[in-house]
Amino acid sequence: MSEYIIEMNHITKRFPGIVANDDISIQIRKGEIYAILGENGAGKSTLMSMLFGMYEPDEGEIVIRGEKVRIESPNHATRLNIGMVHQHFKLVSNYTIAENIVMGMEPVKKTLGIFKSLDQRRANEEIRALSEKFGLEVDPTKVIENINVSMQQRVEILKMLYREAEILIFDEPTAVLTPQEIEFLLEIIEGLRRDGKTIILITHKLEEIKKIADRCAILCRGKLIDVLDVKNTDTKTMANLMVGREVNFSVDKPEAHFGEEILKVEHLTVQNEDKFEVVKDVSFSVRGGEIFAVAGVSGNGQVELADAVAGLLKPSHGRILLNGKDITHSSIRSRNLEGMSYIPEDRQNVGLVMDMSLSDNLALKNYFEAPFSRGAVIEGEEFVRYSDGLIDKYDIRSGQGSDTIVRSMSGGNQQKAVIAREIELDSSLLIFVQPTRGLDIGAIENIHRQIVEQRNKGKAVLLISLELDEVMNLADTIGVIYNGKIEKIADAGTLTPGEVGEFMMGVGGRHEKA
Amino acid sequence: MKKHDWIPVFTVLLSLILGAAVIALLGKNPFQAYYNLLQGSGLAPKASYAGHKGMITDFTSFLNALTPMLLASLSVLIALKAGLFNIGVSGQMLAAAFSATVLVGYSELPAVLAKPLVILIGFIVGALVGGLVGFLRHRFNINEVVSTIMCNYIIQYVVSFFINVFFVDPVSRQSKNIGAAARLTLVDVAVGDYKMDIPFGILLAVVVVAATVFLLGKTTLGFEIKAVGFGSRAAEYAGIRVGRTRVLAMMLSGGMAGLAGVTYYLGYFASIQPRVLASTGYDAIAVALLGNSSPIGIIFSSFLITVISKGSTYMSSTAGVQAEMASALTGFILLISACGAYVREKINRWKENR
Amino acid sequence: MNTIIIDGLSFALPLFIMAIGGIYCERSGVTNLAIEGLQGFGAFCGALFAVCIAPFFAGDSPVPFYLAMIFAFLGGMLFSLLHAMLCIRFKANQVISGVVINILAMSLTEFMTKQINASVFQAASNKFVLGVSARVTVPGISAVPVLGAVFTSLYPFEPVIALIAFIAWYVLYKTPFGLHLRACGDNPHAVDAAGIEVGRVRLIAVMVSGALSGLGGICFAYSISANFSSNIYSGYGYLAIAALIFGNWKILPTLGACLLFGFARSGGYELVKILEMPSSYQDLVMVLPYVLTLLMLVFFGRKNHSPRALGVIYDKGAR
Repeated sequence: MSEYIIEMNHITKRFPGIVANDDISIQIRKGEIYAILGENGAGKSTLMSMLFGMYEPDEGEIVIRGEKVRIESPNHATRLNIGMVHQHFKLVSNYTIAENIVMGMEPVKKTLGIFKSLDQRRANEEIRALSEKFGLEVDPTKVIENINVSMQQRVEILKMLYREAEILIFDEPTAVLTPQEIEFLLEIIEGLRRDGKTIILITHKLEEIKKIADRCAILCRGKLIDVLDVKNTDTKTMANLMVGREVNFSVDKPEAHFGEEILKVEHLTVQNEDKFEVVKDVSFSVRGGEIFAVAGVSGNGQVELADAVAGLLKPSHGRILLNGKDITHSSIRSRNLEGMSYIPEDRQNVGLVMDMSLSDNLALKNYFEAPFSRGAVIEGEEFVRYSDGLIDKYDIRSGQGSDTIVRSMSGGNQQKAVIAREIELDSSLLIFVQPTRGLDIGAIENIHRQIVEQRNKGKAVLLISLELDEVMNLADTIGVIYNGKIEKIADAGTLTPGEVGEFMMGVGGRHEKA
Repeated sequence: MKKHDWIPVFTVLLSLILGAAVIALLGKNPFQAYYNLLQGSGLAPKASYAGHKGMITDFTSFLNALTPMLLASLSVLIALKAGLFNIGVSGQMLAAAFSATVLVGYSELPAVLAKPLVILIGFIVGALVGGLVGFLRHRFNINEVVSTIMCNYIIQYVVSFFINVFFVDPVSRQSKNIGAAARLTLVDVAVGDYKMDIPFGILLAVVVVAATVFLLGKTTLGFEIKAVGFGSRAAEYAGIRVGRTRVLAMMLSGGMAGLAGVTYYLGYFASIQPRVLASTGYDAIAVALLGNSSPIGIIFSSFLITVISKGSTYMSSTAGVQAEMASALTGFILLISACGAYVREKINRWKENR
Repeated sequence: MNTIIIDGLSFALPLFIMAIGGIYCERSGVTNLAIEGLQGFGAFCGALFAVCIAPFFAGDSPVPFYLAMIFAFLGGMLFSLLHAMLCIRFKANQVISGVVINILAMSLTEFMTKQINASVFQAASNKFVLGVSARVTVPGISAVPVLGAVFTSLYPFEPVIALIAFIAWYVLYKTPFGLHLRACGDNPHAVDAAGIEVGRVRLIAVMVSGALSGLGGICFAYSISANFSSNIYSGYGYLAIAALIFGNWKILPTLGACLLFGFARSGGYELVKILEMPSSYQDLVMVLPYVLTLLMLVFFGRKNHSPRALGVIYDKGAR
């Protein structure tokens, strides 16, 4: 028998228009923690999806425990003792934890000796025993909608363990967790390794890899760049390999000239649908010519903060002032007219109407004004003229120019369209949320340059990003959000990335006070 | 976009072949049967005509039947553009027609006043019912599919009650016939040697088609309706008042359904049968679908469906094929066109992979 | 009083069995506006079979009736395959599919009824005449005041429906299959990840819905008019939809809704009779279920949750 539990040899997978995996070979030993590192779109998830039977490779072979296999379905993967925790949890929200875990492999009893039925009590007992065995305490009778994300992740892990998985794949498991939860998850993973499980960790976070992984495969644009021993490699090297070239960590940014205060947020509190306070008593202001960057781990209230400022969510407390005018209760339209541009996180569902043309989308916020319409009548030619201009100016690539249906455009060009539209509004305030998510390096640099350009023109920029690098590179002022509260506001120059990181995890500034 | 406009054509062809197979199985000649449909609709000459009748009278009578179908389909379309399913066209038609019947149909008003008033009342009452549905969606988040179904039956039974109690004609068991002044179709008008029905409604329908094209393509409201229909979250983000737009779209949709109602009950017919909803409202959903959700496409699809239904009586008497075969044929067309989206997607994928 | 209970039950039970079918379908995530068409087509198949075999049985034999029920069950199931094909295989819009199936069922059964009457029975008729169903009274227990009415002059289908309803309840809430089915309506991706085929579960759910609708349809054909004609399409399917929405997509509350609708109807009819009002006042009674459902949605809409994945086409790739 070979020394490897998993061998993926010369795997190639193509999707229409792109090669997601190009001749990739990796070997994984039993009992190791093997990280797969790469940027968004590097092909990590595709590779692991093939190991889990969700796709079949176009070329190459998969060898599990020395035997060549064709993994046809997730079911088949489960039979091979492979389990996967997906980035988006696959849980039934109105079922109990136990029901979710046993679904598909239910303990069955016979009522009156003939009718097969689900043995709820046995399911609960089995799950309780399983969770105690692996130190993943859960209450099997709790319903999924009533437990938090970290607990839901535990349920996902228990689902794999219930199916006696030996090879556990985690797809970006820490993206949705708070720092303490991440800490705890990493401990759990270590524990699982001690129990003899083999663990594959898909991630783009170097710190996690450094902390627990044994080896690390680096993918870039569908190709395997290198496999490294984590102990003997520093994070900088890994980062450079990951992006495929020397990372240029700086953006050309002339000195700031701050102007008038443009956005002022006072004691803002926002509740989500479940009446849970996700933004708590937040106050800050952004001046003209300033990039105010909000740093934080995902899910700490930053998206809700942006939505509240933009008018998509109603705050329960506090005030928002734009150019000195109270807009707390203004409509979205009047905020836009007052001078607010918003590049939302979800460009496909919020930023764009995917099934309308590019020209319609570029005029989405001013279709009702001259020259686009006169009274209630639309001037179609103006739409096209305007959009042709922006296509040139912002280099938006599309199949049929202004007539292209936005859905058929690439993610990068969709984002270019959103940014073009919002910048052209010539607003005094621009809100960017995760403006570079899922884009390639070239597009990212381009967007960073545009953000700085707007700031240089004297606009106020509110930037919300999960990428600490982006925050450190662009910000004039940094606000760190944690658990819905702004923990720290400071000039960018006065904070090191490490300090920002500590505030992001809610432990910043402790030693100062002590 | 334009490339896939052939799909409805193939749909129709496939259905006609299917229908022909059924007719052939019954031992009849499908070509003759189909030709009879055209003849019955006044699109081809019949072998012989009764006195004062001719191809032209058949054709005007066909237009008379086409009018409500066209308007009802536009009603479905406008709601569909806003991302809403108006299953309640039949109910809105009935509510509008009943109001117009009671308020104008039984009055002594002269034709110049009565006819425009019928149209106006039809539009307003339809719009009110539609608006209510839109409001329920906006204010209470009640799915419009559910509320329109409920409204359909509420209207059906309430109208039936009033007809049976106050306005019933004891012989026909329907509502009493409306006066000629209020009727939107002139019946048995002598033109030359012919006695024909002249439907004013078809002019109204043409105007409404043009208005719809203009509304959707050239107005800010049309732009807003489309944005809400394609992506309500993005529309909201862009500052469009989604709830208001939905209510307006439903009002327009209801209004058009109301127009369909008055041209149906106060044009094609002159009375209302209690306890029955016109099937036009449901057929219209399919006609809108077959017409590729475009106002111009709807002209063709409602034309086709009306030819089939209108010509069926003649087909039945001449070719000996049961008249109900026509509605079965319509059913085939609808069934196959419901698969259209899937075929379209397959074609797209095939093109991408090529 | 007894009449109200007897008539109310005989109306509520077929409605209930159709609504259960609808619950199966919608809890699996497939919108079902096709109940109206499915019950009509099922009734057509049952009635056709009953008419064909009637000559071989004595006039008062209950056998044709039970056979008709079986064929209505199968016929509804067969026709529901169309809905399944459109919604699951062809990924068509489920609302449109429902509407199309209703239109198709109506036109096909009307056409075939006439055609079969003409070519097989040499009669120009648009209906199949069914025998009047015998009614049974359970001796003893029917003598109990009020409650006894439940067991008085029952249609033979009533105990059958009660039994099937119980089985349907048991399968949906107590068995692993029921667990999978309800999960499909909430998060089909979770079901898929658990190694269960979503399409298959939904197919079965749609077929159950078709079968139960067909069953309900033939019961209405027997109990209300004792024949099959296009009158079968007078909105029972939509009423069943109202009932299941009223019952919040749960079987027991839906039974409550059906009983409410049934008793409101029979009670209203009785009232109209007692007050010697013209029969047209019955129409006002008919409005009641729909008005109640709308009002319920207006006032308690927030507590009324349709299945989360209802009407969403399942695409393995999408998240």
